Amino acid sequence: MSIDAISGIGTSSMLGAFGVGSTSTTSAVAGTSGVQALGSSFGASLTSSVDQLQAVQSNAKALAVEAVTGDLDDIHDYTIAAAEASTTLELTAALRNKAVEAFSEIMRMQA
Amino acid sequence: MGTFDAIGIAGSGMTVYQTWINAISDNLANVNTVRSTSEEAFRARYVVASSVEYGTPAGTQVSSIELGDAEGRLVYEPDNPLADTEGYVRYPDIDMTSQMTHLIMAQRGYQANAAVVDRAKETYQAALQIGRS
Repeated sequence: MSIDAISGIGTSSMLGAFGVGSTSTTSAVAGTSGVQALGSSFGASLTSSVDQLQAVQSNAKALAVEAVTGDLDDIHDYTIAAAEASTTLELTAALRNKAVEAFSEIMRMQA
Repeated sequence: MGTFDAIGIAGSGMTVYQTWINAISDNLANVNTVRSTSEEAFRARYVVASSVEYGTPAGTQVSSIELGDAEGRLVYEPDNPLADTEGYVRYPDIDMTSQMTHLIMAQRGYQANAAVVDRAKETYQAALQIGRS
């Protein structure tokens, strides 16, 4: 299962919008640096989440190959890896959806 | 890994119980394996499990496989082609009743750990539902 498209999200584009946008418009407000830090830490957590997703998915994929080639010793090794992969995917998707939701909310703001 | 510790620990339990089921299967398959008295009897397989020191990853593991009695039990079967001059053959000393009860224990243990995996996954998914709707 290739998820190269997902990893593109985690890197910079959207998070740049969070961090940089806040600093330029509200530079006078105290706590701006906090927003910047929040943006980058959220980016870091999303990126690490995507990395973890890729790790568990490649693990599940390797076990699936073992299963079809007859090299799999324990059935539950694969089913557990698949359960972990799907849960991690849901977690990453939830993170991403929340981020997009927040971003859209900001974009809807009117003066 | 952290996030999926409960699933990993239950998985290690499933591996141990599966090894136990394999050993019982071996014992039951050989319960009537006859040998001549000059050889040692089929030795029952016993799985020795040990807990993994708490940390990462916790859980359980198969530490060794012990072998049962090589003496077996001598049975008088003069018609058996393997019988010695006095008419005795060697059967393995495996009690089928205890093997069957162990099999039930192993099966239930495996199922219990599989249930833990399912419940843990459900729990994590409940966390993902927070704030949705």
